[in-house]
Amino acid sequence: MNPFNPFRRGRGEHKRLIRMVPESPLRNVDPRAKLAICLLVALSVMLPLERLAIFWLLFTASMIAARLGEEMLFQIQRIAWILIILFILDWIAIGPDFALLITLRFTLVVSAFTIFFATTSPEEFRLALERLGFPYAYAFSLSLAFLSVSLMIEEWHNILEAQRSRGAWQEIKGLRRIGDQLNNLVALGVPAVVLTVKRAWTFTEAAYTRGFDSPHRRPYRELVMRRVDWALSLGALGAIALIFFWR
Amino acid sequence: MCPGSNHALAASAIAFTYHNQATPSFRDVTLKVCAGERLLITGSSGCGKSTLARCFVGLIPHLYNGELDGEVWLGDSRTDQTPLWQLAERAGMVLQNTQAQMLASTVEDEIAFGLENLGLPRAEIEERIEAMLERFDLCKHRTHDPRRLSGGEGQRVMLAAMLARRPPLLVLDEPLSMLDTTAAHDLVVHLSELARQGNAIVVCEHRSHYFHDAGTFREYPLPSPINISAQDDASPAPIYSAPHFDLGIENLSVNFGQRRILDNISLDLNSGQIVALVGVNGSGKTTLLRCLIGLQRCAGKIQVTDGAMPDLGLVYQNPDLQLFNPTVREEILFRVKEPDEQLYRWLLLRLGLARYEIHSPLLLSEGEKKRLCLAMVLMHQPRHGVLLDEPTLGQDHHHRILLGHTARELAAAGRLVIVATHDLAWAAHYATQMLVLHAGRIIANDKPSVLLHDSDLWRRVNLRVPDWIWEPIA
Repeated sequence: MNPFNPFRRGRGEHKRLIRMVPESPLRNVDPRAKLAICLLVALSVMLPLERLAIFWLLFTASMIAARLGEEMLFQIQRIAWILIILFILDWIAIGPDFALLITLRFTLVVSAFTIFFATTSPEEFRLALERLGFPYAYAFSLSLAFLSVSLMIEEWHNILEAQRSRGAWQEIKGLRRIGDQLNNLVALGVPAVVLTVKRAWTFTEAAYTRGFDSPHRRPYRELVMRRVDWALSLGALGAIALIFFWR
Repeated sequence: MCPGSNHALAASAIAFTYHNQATPSFRDVTLKVCAGERLLITGSSGCGKSTLARCFVGLIPHLYNGELDGEVWLGDSRTDQTPLWQLAERAGMVLQNTQAQMLASTVEDEIAFGLENLGLPRAEIEERIEAMLERFDLCKHRTHDPRRLSGGEGQRVMLAAMLARRPPLLVLDEPLSMLDTTAAHDLVVHLSELARQGNAIVVCEHRSHYFHDAGTFREYPLPSPINISAQDDASPAPIYSAPHFDLGIENLSVNFGQRRILDNISLDLNSGQIVALVGVNGSGKTTLLRCLIGLQRCAGKIQVTDGAMPDLGLVYQNPDLQLFNPTVREEILFRVKEPDEQLYRWLLLRLGLARYEIHSPLLLSEGEKKRLCLAMVLMHQPRHGVLLDEPTLGQDHHHRILLGHTARELAAAGRLVIVATHDLAWAAHYATQMLVLHAGRIIANDKPSVLLHDSDLWRRVNLRVPDWIWEPIA
């Protein structure tokens, strides 16, 4: 596989933002615990370089143990070119230490949310939001948006292909032909907006025909923080505290 | 009107006018549907079938702006005076595009969604889910993403999700439009079975042939919005005749990851042919079309007589992917160098688009949008021909015939027309050649009149050839 082009894996692979990893042991962890872990990992970007490097290694080892190593690599590959450009610019402007620090920070933030989104279904996401105090209608809408992200990416690629086939989208190099670039943007943007609005309306109709606005709703599934969920959350908190304050 | 009656649905002189339109979508519809009764609402594109279906379940007037005249009753509830969640307990609705109305990431959660809204205890929800999975043969798909299932399986999931709520009335809007012949037949059988068990069924569908086999569907035809016969244009197509060419395909293969989508296809086609490409979903029809136009990377060779890649235009299954200009005229003439005004006028008339010339393409019906996309492609006059992906989807009877005539005229002008379709009846009448794709291979290639009588072939590819396929289409 080309390390700088994760789009070469086969059909559909380039169209996804993130892949569900059902075989990960984190799949059964309460989504609130996973969200807490993600936030704690994201906080670690404030560490100085040496500690960040140690934390990065520990984090990567944990991701591999949780069978999320491949997905972490995939997410880093998606931004490989940005990382390389930033690394070179930082090295030239400031120095190698700073370039490494920025690279580690970026890869950590990108990988942190893999823990949540690669192991949580849209329904669990909705339940977690409800338990965190979001009103049902908003939590439901956000979970639908979560569900639709992959569809929207797929649609975007289909629009690009369809417009290219009729000559309505052309590769344009250089900044001189800004008008043509705007035309390209319209040719892609209008169908994308139309399809998104249509999908949102279909969702609305589908939800209301199954009693979405019922005041008697009772959820089929419930989230329960088990001991293991508490242990994982507190463990992550402890690890972060240790690496921040250890002398 | 209806309190105390035993009608699942009663409509009295209803008409609905959208807020931005001057005339109603339909008018003076009066009907009653009792428990166990089956009603088939038919009519041409744009006659208001989908709008009427939304009136029946209360989505109109609750979610749509406009003026609803008359009364609609679901049991003893008048739809404009009852909240939607209560109406949803009396009527379920399956929308036209089943994949787009899936609200959950697994089949189990899709069924559970409607049951949660009834406020049922968890044990009963579980019981009803099990019963529905069993009844619709979905047990093996329980944890699958419902949007990744085939058209027929998706329809079964939606039926399960609706019927789990046990509504006395079920309304289906164009349920056959995305289905192949086997799945369409199975759905009609399912609906008849539901009616026998006491459900009232209302189906809005212009592919009425499928329901004739089922016998006891009462038909309610909605009047056509315009005199569609006036759209016919007898003048010959102003398309220049192309010189004869052969299109050769050699050892064409496509892999998606580990999956082989097209497997070593070799084929010779000629100018002047109308080729129907048939097969179940996932057999590789669309991928083959994408290879022919150069959009899909593939192994093998595709070339016309002079050794070049063919110059073909592709009309996509989903027209919304391509439309973005402010008017129909601008959409058709977009990036056409020196447009041929005579061809432009002919296309507008032939494809029933003349009255929409200065309208926004986004306001057209699905069938009209598809015809607009065909006009866009033909306006560029591709040298070797056109590729049509499910062109009859969303088209009523009249426009299916128009599409057939257009294909014949293109073929007569020396173009190659390749049509990927589930519509075996259309293929039987208009195609000169039929290719049957199965698991990425062409397993039969002959005239439709020969292949459609080969019952072993259709059994092998799991497609049903309906008895009425040879009935005159025009």
